[in-house]
Amino acid sequence: MTGEPRQINLDQWDREYARLRAAGMAEPIYGGPLSRHVADGDTRLLKLRYDNSPAALRLWNFLLTEEDRLLAARDSGKKLVGAMKDLGTVPVMAYSLDNLVSFYPDGAWWIPCVMELNTGLLQIADSLGIDESFCPVRAMLGAFVTEAHFPLPDLLTCSVGATCDDFSAIAQRLNGLGHPILWWEIPHRRQPEPGEQAVTLPGGFSAPGSQIEFVRSELLRVKIALEELAGRSLDDETLVAGILKANVVRDLLAHLRHLAFTAPLCPMPALEMLIAEMLAIHFCSDQDETILVLTNLLAEVTRRAAAGTGHLAADAARVFWVNPVADLRAMNLLEDCGGRMCGTEYLFAHALDPIPTTIPPMEALAQMALADPMVGSAFDRAARIVADIRRFRAEAVIVSRIPGASHCALEGEIIARMVREECGLPVLEIEVPSITDATQATLCTRLEALVETAKDRRER
Amino acid sequence: MKIIAYTCPYVPAEWIAAHGFEPRRLIPLPTDVDAVAPRVEGLCPYARAFVNDVAAENAAGIVVTTLCDQMRRAYDLLTCGTDTPAFLLNVPKTWQTVAAQRMYLDELKRLGRFLVRLGGQTPSSEQLAKTMIEHVGRAAPTASPAHAEGVPLAVVGGPLMQRDRILFDLIGESGGRIVLDATETGSRGLRRAFDRRRIAEDPLIELADAYFGIPDASRRPNSELYGWLKEELTRTGARGIVFHHYLWCDAWRAELARLKEWVDMPVLGIDSDGNGETNVARLRTRIRAFLEMFQ
Repeated sequence: MTGEPRQINLDQWDREYARLRAAGMAEPIYGGPLSRHVADGDTRLLKLRYDNSPAALRLWNFLLTEEDRLLAARDSGKKLVGAMKDLGTVPVMAYSLDNLVSFYPDGAWWIPCVMELNTGLLQIADSLGIDESFCPVRAMLGAFVTEAHFPLPDLLTCSVGATCDDFSAIAQRLNGLGHPILWWEIPHRRQPEPGEQAVTLPGGFSAPGSQIEFVRSELLRVKIALEELAGRSLDDETLVAGILKANVVRDLLAHLRHLAFTAPLCPMPALEMLIAEMLAIHFCSDQDETILVLTNLLAEVTRRAAAGTGHLAADAARVFWVNPVADLRAMNLLEDCGGRMCGTEYLFAHALDPIPTTIPPMEALAQMALADPMVGSAFDRAARIVADIRRFRAEAVIVSRIPGASHCALEGEIIARMVREECGLPVLEIEVPSITDATQATLCTRLEALVETAKDRRER
Repeated sequence: MKIIAYTCPYVPAEWIAAHGFEPRRLIPLPTDVDAVAPRVEGLCPYARAFVNDVAAENAAGIVVTTLCDQMRRAYDLLTCGTDTPAFLLNVPKTWQTVAAQRMYLDELKRLGRFLVRLGGQTPSSEQLAKTMIEHVGRAAPTASPAHAEGVPLAVVGGPLMQRDRILFDLIGESGGRIVLDATETGSRGLRRAFDRRRIAEDPLIELADAYFGIPDASRRPNSELYGWLKEELTRTGARGIVFHHYLWCDAWRAELARLKEWVDMPVLGIDSDGNGETNVARLRTRIRAFLEMFQ
């Protein structure tokens, strides 16, 4: 049904969609032509390029219909949990109960991009004193005020402690506007000291047992709140089932990333891979469908890798990308400039690792939360990035700063230093705002220079 | 006596002293040295100044806390920019749970082990109690300009570098009188008075409790800060607020709008980049204009 892999624009997708439907393509209930989302205000879609597979179409439609899903969930009597800041732990708990749906209000940070600043969310944040010196996640404030992008959740949780200041401040502002928040503490992960029980966390970092116990007690507070909301017990057996299901998602993503980043020809472009990875955080408000979407995508990628087909030139520079981009278009730009995504660290590498199943579930979740690269030293994060660079055989690294994000001021330097020392690779640090149109030329010049440098090094 | 340098108010000086060190709360000038942290967009100037100044200090050890993410990350630079042993004290952002209070207490004990590794001695309860009582009469770290007349004002915000305390002089010169220094380096950053009876029962718990109660914008929720401000603004009779924060200090910048909504008095918001280019004339003009509102 799918022809040769190509990247196509929205107009081309409309024509391709008609062809696929005529050829018998089956779609889930949220399916349809991508262009219909433009009418909803997602005008950035007009400027993006997409993979031409039905699997990618399903992925995009799944992403862009999340609001509908949340509303339907509420209408059906389910309770909504807004899990803020924490990337990948509370949703696993929430989805263990089938009358709870968890989503990620922070995801509103992409609304200014997808709707090309037309929604006024950033202006609302400005009016509340949260200006452009803060990360684009400030759009979340505007989303809560307008209630136009997701229904207000029944329970809001937010991890604090070893988390970025700007998000914490934005969440506090939200709290000050009258939204109750269950704050839970995630301490700065430190090395065990002599005499302390040392635990190796998923992903390879280590932490003292006392910190895991503390986080477990914090997650216990969250668990109690979820139980009260659901009116049901979230016992160990239920949690274990939830963890196993979350691990299905993580396993699918692991295979997908491995193929996408290591196949001789790029079987799936960077933009679709970015969205696929994001599903790991909160399953886009439907965990079962996430599994189906990723299964589909993996099947397509596997087919292409086996057939030796894919996108981009065979000699595209293999680039490892650090931090998610506020403007999705940046993913297309990388490829326009001769690069190929071969490795990523989008602030939530721990949400891609399998959750341990040989220890009690609450302890497993505590270990996962503490395994977050962002809650420890930037050197830890850099070390994990170096390991993945080697695993995916990247030739160059891009550290993408998020405008206003407090962690970006210093970590880029530390990551770049370690990458150069350990891998000897060129590193480029760029800043990607919510809309890159005005800076596109400059950005491309820098991306092209990095690609040239990477290719040049091959000949030495 | 060997010095242990720190800047965060959640580091108990008495704890350091009881281990046999001289606690030195370093408020950056700042100097022009950038040996540890270069000038980088997005980096809080106070955090930058502290790590640079403290690295040049002749200290036996440095204590940094996780009160803000900027400091937490600046600690990484400190560890590779100086040979002086450094310790990162995990200060919980949450405060309402017993677990958070216990975490802070455990962190103080861990700090104690760090101090012992540097050659200090673990104090007995009696030694700690004695040190705490001796510190009771110590002077507050700030000195506001002694102007007896003028519009009573509060200065609210995060820490102020020494050079930026020109703000106080300008307020005094312009007809203001600072009745409340609610900056981190002012009275807001002081622990409550010790309860001598509780010192006798368990000095370490009393020490932890006294310091843990310091209100700050970074706590979650930060309702304690507003509770404290309400009491202090009433007690001191302040009629206006000068709110200061450094560029890139998200925790405090986010509070300006909320403070203006919450308080029933004029608020002047001032930000500075902390890098020495404060335009005194501009600041004076703004403060004078602000004070004219009260005439």
